[in-house]
Amino acid sequence: MATVTPDLQRAGGGGSNVLRLGKPFRYSVLTLVGAFFIIPILASARFSFLGNNNSFTFSAYTQLFGTPQFWSTLWLSVKVGVGTVALTLALLIPTVIFVHVRLPRLRRLFESVSLLPLVIPSVVVTLGVITSFRNLPNIIYGTPVILALEYVVLALPYSYRTFDSAVQSIDLKTLVDAGQSLGAGWIKLLRFAILPNLRSGLLGASILTFAFCLGEFAVASLLSFTTFPVFLVQVGRLEASQAVALSLIALIFTWIPLALVMIVFSQRRGGRRGAGVEAAIESAVAE
Amino acid sequence: MAISDELRSDSGTVPGGDGDAPAGSMRPRRSRRRGRWHTSIGALPFLVYVALFLLVPAVSVVATAFKNGNGQFTMANFDEAVHGVYLQSFIASIKLSFASALIAAVVGLLAALAVSATENRIVRSLVAAGSGVFANTGGVPLAFSFIATVGNFGVVTKLLSSAGFDLYSHGFSLYSVMGLTIVYQYFLIPLMILIMIPPIQALRKEWIDASASLGANRFQFWRWVGIPLLTPPILAAFIVLFTDAFAAYATAEALTSGTIPLVPIQLGSLISGNVLAGQTNLGDALGAGMIVVVLVAALLYAYVQRKASKWLR
Repeated sequence: MATVTPDLQRAGGGGSNVLRLGKPFRYSVLTLVGAFFIIPILASARFSFLGNNNSFTFSAYTQLFGTPQFWSTLWLSVKVGVGTVALTLALLIPTVIFVHVRLPRLRRLFESVSLLPLVIPSVVVTLGVITSFRNLPNIIYGTPVILALEYVVLALPYSYRTFDSAVQSIDLKTLVDAGQSLGAGWIKLLRFAILPNLRSGLLGASILTFAFCLGEFAVASLLSFTTFPVFLVQVGRLEASQAVALSLIALIFTWIPLALVMIVFSQRRGGRRGAGVEAAIESAVAE
Repeated sequence: MAISDELRSDSGTVPGGDGDAPAGSMRPRRSRRRGRWHTSIGALPFLVYVALFLLVPAVSVVATAFKNGNGQFTMANFDEAVHGVYLQSFIASIKLSFASALIAAVVGLLAALAVSATENRIVRSLVAAGSGVFANTGGVPLAFSFIATVGNFGVVTKLLSSAGFDLYSHGFSLYSVMGLTIVYQYFLIPLMILIMIPPIQALRKEWIDASASLGANRFQFWRWVGIPLLTPPILAAFIVLFTDAFAAYATAEALTSGTIPLVPIQLGSLISGNVLAGQTNLGDALGAGMIVVVLVAALLYAYVQRKASKWLR
């Protein structure tokens, strides 16, 4: 995996004569690919506002918002998402900082561990959860708590690398040395020196994890929890226009925070090591 | 100053609490007092967590695959998994993933080349951020937005038919392997762009200048410099795309309601309780089979990646 990704904005590497690609080629490729990505969005918008006889209507949206299940499943997904983010941070903050301070040579190893979920498809993980956790107390296995517990692991490829590269980009050693020489313990160090410097990394990891939780379908549906995406599929079997409207909402609400993460991380340090890039590369099994 | 030097030497030379650390006087008091065993304990909760919630389920799937309903050892599950309809589903899944990854690799590579060659900063940032966002898009909403576009009653389907061209009477169907191949492009192409931009940017200017001053034309540059340099990263990217498509479940399930025989879909329907008598642990064998396919891809990836890093360092 390319760990050092040169800045997109840097002119040096890729001027037009360097790659010897003509303008017609560049613009036709980018236009065609761009169209492929924009047309489904426009079509969804059109489809969701389509009433009888091609009239324009908001009914798909008003009906959706009037469905109690819309709100209850969304609320369930939000709760699972918040729980997952909290657990993720509780696990990642000590681990990543510890690895950087005490075990810097094992940094690569821990990164590989965080990528393990990519090797085990989430459908398989679900099956394993059923066979191995069936006998756990009902409070864990029988409630959405199990979803949060699993999502922490399944979202690791996004969250770990994002946070890890944020820690890598600050001078953790100096912070720790300075803090300790002033007599601060680890709690104070974290609270006043380290975490404030990692705000964007924490935010990035949280957003990516939360977006993952809001969109995850396989585990939730196979464990029979009606989260937001599962509800979306149920709606889709009955009411196409409502499902499309709902999808559009879901897409826009995941795109906005994701875009924020991409922008924040591509600007920090000139995008030397876009966390978004890293995370996206690992999007593998996640879907 | 002294403290900082000690800390640095500590963490620099004592990974994992190796015993070959410099004499005790060089090490900070804290770690001397706690001993080397404690040096790695801080990372333990994370490792235990991953082991518990990822490795335990995975191992239990593989282990159960070798058992029959009474817990005795058997190969019957695998026998079933590599014959008949399940063999077909493995073949279909691999074909679908291969075709999707191939198309995405070609289109994504062209787009990555195009965007790398563009001086327009806005276009570059837009493509980079857009790719990051779209590569993370997937699952159910994606399926529905394609249904709205080229489904039976999709907007584009209708537009085309009013222009006199009926998509669905020309062999196209969104609810098929072909349809899935197209839908998967929506997250595979951006993934390819993201993966390929760094190696393309790393094509060093000196190499290009050198080839130019030696009189290479455009064809010769690509034949002898560009393509050989980009081949390892392209192969690695292809494997990532393949794995991504192979494991995808949500999009296929939402789009086809589980009617297409792909491995994740079959496995999903076994989990949901559609188990025939005598197939108790068949699902586990399918799951183990999926892990094997992905592992083979991951090993290939590691191999190719080693070659690639040799060039691009």
